[in-house]
Amino acid sequence: MQKRIVTMLTAMSLMLPTVALAASGDALFLQSCGACHKKGGKASIVNPADKAGTVWEKYFARGRHTADMGMSDADLQAVVKYLVKHAADSDQPAAAVIPK
Amino acid sequence: MKKILLTAGALLAWTGCAVAGAGGQTVAIPVEDYKAILERLDTLQKRVDQMEKTDSPSGKAASAAMPSKLAKDVETIFDTLDKVETKTLKDRINLGAELRTRADFFTLKNSTSLTPGSLVAEEHNDNYWSNRFRLNLDSEIRKNLLFTGRVTAYKNFANNENNAFANDSNAAHVPGDSGLKLDRAYVDWIPEDMPIPLALTFGRHPSSEGPPSELKENRLRQSTYPSLLFDGEADGVVATVGLERYLGWKNSGLRFAWGKAYQDTNTAVSYMDNAGGMYDDTNVYAMFFETEIPGVRDSLLVLSALQVKNLNADTSYFGATTTTKVDIGDMNLYGVHAQANNLMDSGFDLFASAGINETDPNGATATITGGPYNGYALGLMNTGANNDEHSGWALHAGLRYNIAYKPWNNPKVGFEYNHGSDNWFSFTWGSAELYNKLAARGDAYDFYYIQPFNDNLFGRLGYTHIDYNYSNSGMHIGDFGDSITDLDNLYFLLDCRF
Repeated sequence: MQKRIVTMLTAMSLMLPTVALAASGDALFLQSCGACHKKGGKASIVNPADKAGTVWEKYFARGRHTADMGMSDADLQAVVKYLVKHAADSDQPAAAVIPK
Repeated sequence: MKKILLTAGALLAWTGCAVAGAGGQTVAIPVEDYKAILERLDTLQKRVDQMEKTDSPSGKAASAAMPSKLAKDVETIFDTLDKVETKTLKDRINLGAELRTRADFFTLKNSTSLTPGSLVAEEHNDNYWSNRFRLNLDSEIRKNLLFTGRVTAYKNFANNENNAFANDSNAAHVPGDSGLKLDRAYVDWIPEDMPIPLALTFGRHPSSEGPPSELKENRLRQSTYPSLLFDGEADGVVATVGLERYLGWKNSGLRFAWGKAYQDTNTAVSYMDNAGGMYDDTNVYAMFFETEIPGVRDSLLVLSALQVKNLNADTSYFGATTTTKVDIGDMNLYGVHAQANNLMDSGFDLFASAGINETDPNGATATITGGPYNGYALGLMNTGANNDEHSGWALHAGLRYNIAYKPWNNPKVGFEYNHGSDNWFSFTWGSAELYNKLAARGDAYDFYYIQPFNDNLFGRLGYTHIDYNYSNSGMHIGDFGDSITDLDNLYFLLDCRF
């Protein structure tokens, strides 16, 4: 029994870095995007479920976000990936990450 | 340029489809040239893929060059498009529907009754109405992942009873209660970057109303399997290998199919395939080769071979008070189907199908307990202790003429004939007709007239005469006897699809 618990804990600890990486897009979205796109902010509230996944991809590919986001390309890619993952047509649409 | 290449790629994908659409103008070219064109299209498709991967010029730079008013308008259009596209992508399933109301006027003469040896002189119904509602669903989940589904409610007017011969293969094809039955629900997966063109289909298959049923049903082809051999609902997995680029024959491919005609669920652990020791599952293994007939536009040739392992005998069909099921043996089926639509622009659609069945009984029998046939022991096309192997054959041929008369919306008139020998049997329980015409051990004559009223509504007036020479048509259990039963049916139906 003890052995099984140790094995399970080891397996869970191996998963931790994955969880941390997966959360980065989420965190970046909240920190960077959420700085302006919030209630009473400089820009209107935005959430991943506002658009479909491919629409998000096209939005950034067309360079439609004119304001400087102050993000590196890698960070922007992580945010887009997060938006697509929780887009309107995804299995896990997120409609209120930034409170309305 | 990119659009042209994409269109060419799409055309390539379309020609790889198993089901042919309506025919258009074609030209005859040598096989080698055709293969060279396909290879060239492959190369072009790769270039398109490469171009799509390459970043397009920055949208920011493009918008910066625009006058501010125009840039604002473009942004507004983009915002609108975003909303529309998002809404469209959220509508994951497309819906369609069909409704059919049918009136039958039939007479059955000299049919056998449930009392052995006795005959019913005449049975008729001159006012037999039914409704069939179908809800069609489809979705392009991803570029190479497609879903198709159909649920059906099929019932007689003012009646909510199941048909006596209803089973899992025809639940949506014979009148029953008003509940929706799962007619078909399957996913086509076309894996990318495979060394050979491959498609995998899994779920409840499009295995009913196959060619040439579409002629009489006034629609496009509905199934991969010729209806003389297999016409019913079936759960399974099918792998299709595209051969067009290797053979140079349009729409050519090879299908490997596996499915279950019966799965034992009578014991708690029966999902482990007979783990409970009750009955073996009935497995169906099949192989189909199909192609457009070289040189004949909008045509079809299908060669079929099926093996059905561990067929069951179910005594409940014979009025037994206690149901007994026994594995009684295997059966092989072979078939060839040829069809040409609008042959040489004549307006004639022609087809011919032939089938052979062979039994391999294992000697086991199911003995009927109770009812009028009490004590009868039923084997695979045998009764009693016989363990004889039997073979049967059938022929199905017909034509449809498309009357080019626009004021009447181009009506159609058709005739079909089929003959089955004394031991003929195939899996046609899901026949779209109220009677299992293609199972007839005898001769069947079928006339119909199709009157389209518009693109969504048509009527069909038909007359069918079946002369049964041998009994037990459509059954694989028990021996047959001579029959003098005749069926005459006059019907009219209205069918609305949208």
